[in-house]
Amino acid sequence: MARYLLLRLLDLVPTVFLVLTLVFIAMRILPGDPALAALGANADGGQLEAFRERMGLNDPLWLQYVHFLWDAVRLDFGNSLMSNIPISTLIANNLPHTVYLTIVSVALGLFIGIPLGLYAATQRNKLPDNALRIYSLIGYSVPDFYLGAILLIVFSLNLGWFPINGAGEGFWDGLHHIFLPALSLALLKSAFLGRLTRTSLLEVLGRDYVRTARAKGAREGRVIFRHGLRNAMLPLSTGIGISILATLSGAVAIELVFNRPGIGRLLISAIQERDYPVIQAGVMMFATFVVLVNLLMDIVYIFIDPRIRMKS
Amino acid sequence: MSDRLLDIRDLSVEFGPVARPLRVVDRVSFSIDAGKTLGIVGESGSGKSMTALSVLRLVPEPPARISGQILFDGRDLLKVPRRNMPAIRGKDIGMIFQEPMASLNPLMSIGDQIAEAIMLHESMSADRRRERVLDLLRLVGLPDPEGRLGAYPDQFSGGMRQRVMAAIAMACNPRLLIADEPTTALDVTIQAQVLEMMLDIRRRFNSAILLITHDLGVVAEVCERVVVMYAGKVVEDADVGSLFANALHPYTQGLLRSVPSLTDTRKRLYQIPGSVPPARTIKAGCPFRPRCPARMDRCAVEMPPLVPYAPGHRAACWAVSKEMAE
Ligand SMILES: Nc1ncnc2c1ncn2[C@@H]1O[C@H](COP(=O)(O)OP(=O)(O)OP(=O)(O)O)[C@@H](O)[C@H]1O
Ligand SMILES: [Mg+2]
Repeated sequence: MARYLLLRLLDLVPTVFLVLTLVFIAMRILPGDPALAALGANADGGQLEAFRERMGLNDPLWLQYVHFLWDAVRLDFGNSLMSNIPISTLIANNLPHTVYLTIVSVALGLFIGIPLGLYAATQRNKLPDNALRIYSLIGYSVPDFYLGAILLIVFSLNLGWFPINGAGEGFWDGLHHIFLPALSLALLKSAFLGRLTRTSLLEVLGRDYVRTARAKGAREGRVIFRHGLRNAMLPLSTGIGISILATLSGAVAIELVFNRPGIGRLLISAIQERDYPVIQAGVMMFATFVVLVNLLMDIVYIFIDPRIRMKS
Repeated sequence: MSDRLLDIRDLSVEFGPVARPLRVVDRVSFSIDAGKTLGIVGESGSGKSMTALSVLRLVPEPPARISGQILFDGRDLLKVPRRNMPAIRGKDIGMIFQEPMASLNPLMSIGDQIAEAIMLHESMSADRRRERVLDLLRLVGLPDPEGRLGAYPDQFSGGMRQRVMAAIAMACNPRLLIADEPTTALDVTIQAQVLEMMLDIRRRFNSAILLITHDLGVVAEVCERVVVMYAGKVVEDADVGSLFANALHPYTQGLLRSVPSLTDTRKRLYQIPGSVPPARTIKAGCPFRPRCPARMDRCAVEMPPLVPYAPGHRAACWAVSKEMAE
């Protein structure tokens, strides 16, 4: 098993390499001059040239590439062009908020979605099942930033039940601040996971081994949880992985709407200010997330499915 | 007939709209005595599995509609409230399913799956349960049971899974064991072993066995009585000796001619021309008529009743009744 994990980690090396290369290329293709963006329109030619020299922008492309890889490996992203703050500090300040938001949203999505899906599957084609169908239709069609804006207007601005912006201090205040943003992101996830739970569970409940469980004398609750849901966890955990990634990308807009600190907001303002090193680091953070979530899913599979455990 | 364990009377299973029902089991009646083995034979789609699943009430209702009586020890299982069925399943009646590959939970160790069958009906310490699981695995002839408790179905061959299925079905010493084609998916040597195992189990516990197969050779080896089904109907039933010596129904005769002969392997196997008609709305007449070598005009109009022609030997065929009358 440790060997299997090690192999999966090694598998990641080419992926990470590819991602880094793509980021490098993208940053060179991006329109605009970093020196101009950093120093402003008033800077003269000499200043611009000095800046380019300092940042290594005059080096041959291959040398820039090597430097870029080396910096990335050492997690040295340089300083922000705007604030001159080390980017590692910026990330350290913002990353936890995005991770927290993602975890709370996905947890909320699971907490709402899985029971809905379970209930709908046991009441197939009856009222609860149709209700879930309508619920997920709404969940799929309302964009999360739009929902976020509405929640913000109704519950923060008009009713004043929730804070308007920021992340809050301490656990309870943090929870108070994160509730509406997380809820906006969780609606779609709960719709998606609810539908997925229903379909996967119905599929599993039609399998021969579920009939075997009934033939042994297992009662319905046991059949559904022990035999049904446990097997449905295989497709479901893939869905949860997808949800985590979707939440991460949704977090960009939600962090803006609720004016919360986070990698998403950091990235957006960096793009507006053409703060290239920060954009570069932000994109790399997101890419790393994707890779890590995939790895996490692989590990989850090992725990759920003995067949994978056996093979490794 | 005091030791009649299972008595099925006029069992019908219907799907589809009530106005135009699709009757896949049609007024089937037969009975099994304790300690005896009854075989149901018939080609694919003749309603054998539906009959067996009805006994455990494992046919999903709806969409199915089930009528008739299934008397188990004198009690009509079709009248037992649904919530009371789990107490009977696995305890009084055990079932081995047709598909050994798909019938075990891939995420549960085989030890746990057998233990679950015990745990659902009998409370005992985990140690004693483990001993019982090991006993069962020995009983079904699985080599190295201790080493295999923690194994998963994927690590087993079809024959070994079928043994695990049998261990599950036998976990609580059921008085009736239903085996739905327990050997079809297996190769010939394993087939013989699984049949031997079932007979051994019957000897030890005096259970009755309902064996479903489309292989008359298997029936000849292990059964005392046979029910021949065609398109949801019983077309003939008899003691095994009587059936093999003197099959009455043209369908049974066709089935018998298609059994491979051990003495003459060169002869080409006979095949009944045509195939079982798809389940359909009930029409008048005998469903076997289109394929029947002995068909008469009357067969198109009226389904022949199942009537006795010799002690314990019944058939449903106009040609037979005409011949007997002459
Ligand atoms: N849910 C259903 N709705 C409609 N018809 C069904 C349904 N399930 C089964 N049937 C039909 O019932 C008939 C009998 O099926 P059954 O499985 O009992 O046959 P069988 O004799 O066991 O065949 P086999 O030898 O292939 O196992 C088949 O024609 C099948 O198409
Ligand atoms: Mg069948």
